[in-house]
Amino acid sequence: MHMQLSTQEMDGGITRVELDGRMDIAGAAAVDLKMNLVAGSAKKLLIDLQKVSFLGSMGLRSIVLPARAVLSKGGKVVIFAPTEMVASVLKASNIDSLLPIHNDLAAATAALQ
Amino acid sequence: MNAIAFPAETMAVEGTVKPVSRLTLKSQLEDMAALWAWVEAIVAEYSISPDTAFAIHLCLEEAISNVIRHGYSGQPNHALTVDYASPNAHELVFTVEDQAPPFDPLHPSLVEELPAPTPEDFLRPGGRGILLMRKFASTIAYQRLKNGNGSGNRLTIGFVLPQ
Repeated sequence: MHMQLSTQEMDGGITRVELDGRMDIAGAAAVDLKMNLVAGSAKKLLIDLQKVSFLGSMGLRSIVLPARAVLSKGGKVVIFAPTEMVASVLKASNIDSLLPIHNDLAAATAALQ
Repeated sequence: MNAIAFPAETMAVEGTVKPVSRLTLKSQLEDMAALWAWVEAIVAEYSISPDTAFAIHLCLEEAISNVIRHGYSGQPNHALTVDYASPNAHELVFTVEDQAPPFDPLHPSLVEELPAPTPEDFLRPGGRGILLMRKFASTIAYQRLKNGNGSGNRLTIGFVLPQ
């Protein structure tokens, strides 16, 4: 299955980007451009990883690069609801120190305010 | 799971209970699309849990992309192979081999701790990818190869299968 990416504008100026599929090298390549476009306009970015079944180091890069672009212009980014294995990749890479992980949507949106 | 480097003699495929199967790729990232299908077939054959399948995919993707990007320096059309063996009922061992110049992804200079993630961490040799392999593999070992006039590298990555 190819990676799918969809976006939704939420209350409070939050952009929710939902990723769906395997974030391997092919999956990362499939969403790189769209992620960069989203990061170009979003100021409060919620990256929804609920439906991401795999995350490798190239996939991590496809999340961190656009996230840092948002952070560098004073924006905020949170990761929402990764699976246990995806969360363990984020934590092993220490990405969670840069991008907080929330499993509760209310807490995730509150962290972006 | 902490990675433990095991001695070369334990990597022998003697006593293998399943036929060794090989994936041959060219040194271009596009070729890696074949990796998941190959892993999926092994996962089905051994009834491997989703978490272990995740770990295998993660480590092989990292090992292969290291060979392509750093061993072969991004030059296409070189060959690399991935073999798997099951030395016993509780372990799967994958061997990634190439004919690239010597490149040890486990060298201590490439595996230092990286407290603050930066985009560059994901582009340079080693770094976070190696930390991930050490975290998700049961064993990992590097061996430099010398075959006749040529040379190469072998990375052996083992996974203990949960009972």
